[in-house]
Amino acid sequence: MKRLALATALAAVFATQAVADTTIKWLHITSIPEEVELLKAAAREYEAANPGITIEDQFLENEAFKAKLTTLLQSDAAPDIFFSWGGGVLTAQVDAGVLRSIDDVVSPDTLASVGSAGVDAFTRDGKLYGVARDVGEVVLWYNKKLFAQAGVDPASMSDWTGFLAGVEKLKAAGITPLALAGKDKWPAQFWWGKMIVRLAGQDQFEAAAAGEGDGFNAAPFVEAGKYLYELGALKPFQPGFEAATYGDASGYFGDGKAAMHLMGDWDYTVMKDSSASKAGIPDEDLGIMPFPTVGGGAGDPTDTLGGLSGWLFSKNASDESIKFVEWFNSAPVQQRFAEKSYYIPIVAGGADTMTNPYKRQVAEDINKAHWHALFFDQRLGPDVGGVFNDLAIGLAANAITPEDAAAQLQEAVEDAQ
Amino acid sequence: MSQTSVIQSGKRSTRGQKAFFQASILIVPALILFIGLVIWPLLNAFMFSFYKWNGFGPLTDFEGLDNYGDVLTHRTFPTALRNVGLLAVTSLLIQLPLALWAALALYQKAWFVSVFRTLFFLPYVLAEIAAGLIWRFVYDGEYGLVPAIGDTLHTEMPFVLAERAWVMPAIILVVMWKYFGFHMMIYIAGLQSIPNEVIEAARMDGVSRRKIMWHIKIPMIKSSIAISVFFAIVGSLQLFDLIVPLTGGGPQNSSHTLVSFLYEFGIRRMKLGFGGATSVVLFVICVGVTLLYRRLVLARMDQ
Repeated sequence: MKRLALATALAAVFATQAVADTTIKWLHITSIPEEVELLKAAAREYEAANPGITIEDQFLENEAFKAKLTTLLQSDAAPDIFFSWGGGVLTAQVDAGVLRSIDDVVSPDTLASVGSAGVDAFTRDGKLYGVARDVGEVVLWYNKKLFAQAGVDPASMSDWTGFLAGVEKLKAAGITPLALAGKDKWPAQFWWGKMIVRLAGQDQFEAAAAGEGDGFNAAPFVEAGKYLYELGALKPFQPGFEAATYGDASGYFGDGKAAMHLMGDWDYTVMKDSSASKAGIPDEDLGIMPFPTVGGGAGDPTDTLGGLSGWLFSKNASDESIKFVEWFNSAPVQQRFAEKSYYIPIVAGGADTMTNPYKRQVAEDINKAHWHALFFDQRLGPDVGGVFNDLAIGLAANAITPEDAAAQLQEAVEDAQ
Repeated sequence: MSQTSVIQSGKRSTRGQKAFFQASILIVPALILFIGLVIWPLLNAFMFSFYKWNGFGPLTDFEGLDNYGDVLTHRTFPTALRNVGLLAVTSLLIQLPLALWAALALYQKAWFVSVFRTLFFLPYVLAEIAAGLIWRFVYDGEYGLVPAIGDTLHTEMPFVLAERAWVMPAIILVVMWKYFGFHMMIYIAGLQSIPNEVIEAARMDGVSRRKIMWHIKIPMIKSSIAISVFFAIVGSLQLFDLIVPLTGGGPQNSSHTLVSFLYEFGIRRMKLGFGGATSVVLFVICVGVTLLYRRLVLARMDQ
């Protein structure tokens, strides 16, 4: 009798262990403490609803994440779920076979909820590798108070000539026109990138990235560089910008020391977090102004530059980890993040709780966009993308001419092929 | 007679065998570590330096010596080489004489002397990354110590880490601050091993302090000096973890060392074949410097 009881007890123990006891390692790059708390709370909630599942959240800082991921993915410590900006890095990871395709597990509901753009961004050769989480756009943030102080009307800066005039006027008033993070380099690419979106447009960019024709030596890319070079010649950036990290530059803008910051919509929270007061620029003084227009160009005026990020799964990830992400990416959970304006969820209904007017505007921009160009450094992959960033900061600092920059970018594309 | 010699030589050889056997056993753990952590990765790097490889999966794309060509013709490679040379030369010409001077002043045993010694040695104990972050703050043109000094002097100080003309001097200053104490300690150890009688005898003969320094103390620690020079050169070749937090190689890739060059253009850009080729070039330079130094300096010293 006793023995039977023991056997049943043991059987019960093994039985529960057989269905459960899955540990999911989840690597994110979120550094804002309150957002991390939300992530952790979601994980605990899922664990409580799904006994036997343990979710370990791991954090790596942005730059460290980029540097370590390649090695990490090939080690025993590979996370099951990790953050991704998609693009060329994703292609390299797929080619290397370090990812798990998720077509066999992912539900049609999830696919429908992220839309075709969300699915396309994480599909390679007909296989789906990730679940899209959010969209982002690079916008020109500005400080209304500083503009008023210098007597500059942002509307007068809507085209390039007006923009440069405004920059000069801000400088004359003793205000740093623009914050830029030169040490991290990638923020500088946004200037060149925005111009390329306008002047070259989608078809020409894709052709150049694929190494066709004149590639990046073609006129629109050189011309795009000229605008950044011309801007750099006015020395519009904060002193010492070449040594500034993204956190430094974002804090400089958040502290009200620079009038404008060309940065992703995520800067809304990072700017606050990096400022000395942790409060940043109050909403009544913060605005988004349209990026200055330039004459001509093959790009569609609605085109946007930004990101479409999501979660990927490493080779040995369990089905449970995919199910967890499907739950995490569902509208009710994503609404918690939208409410706090951390990012703009891509999932249908996820952004419904988003009251933040800036984020709503960005979401609208992206919805209207004919081409939502992925950050070019991500699109071009770590190698060519790294060169792109190097050249962009070179143009901003007037250390390289637009012709040389285009030629060196083209050289990098050819080398990589 | 002949018989005894035979016996003796036989004895010697068994003793030799025994010593060899003992040595082999004792050396095994170190040898395993050395092979696993030095030789094996080295061979690996050498192997993938002939491939185009992004770090994922097997090596398939053989491209011969292309990576080596790419390294040697890379725009930033001469800068990295120049910076390493600059670091080595300034170490030898400024840092080591300063360390020697401090050692001569501080090698006697007294409580206040050991306070100074500890202070000078402390930076060496600090982790490189931490030191880099501290100095990044010191140099910060907005909130750092440098602009504060500028304020008291009523002058505008440059953003040293953001300007190509200032960045290397700024890094060299940190390197000196960091490793000065280490070289000083090597010299102090050497100076303390000089027998007191020698110096006392010289003093009794009426030799001046200056001459005692130049003709007795410094010549007697020349092996310490030789070692510290070697460390300074190899340290310059390998400098990396101060550079990353301080400048990340910028501005405009002007402050890379050979290792930060390898990290930035090989690892971060996922061009591991290129990185492998860089590491082989670095290895060849290191081995070359070591061999040359042994032949030219250490060997002569043994004579």
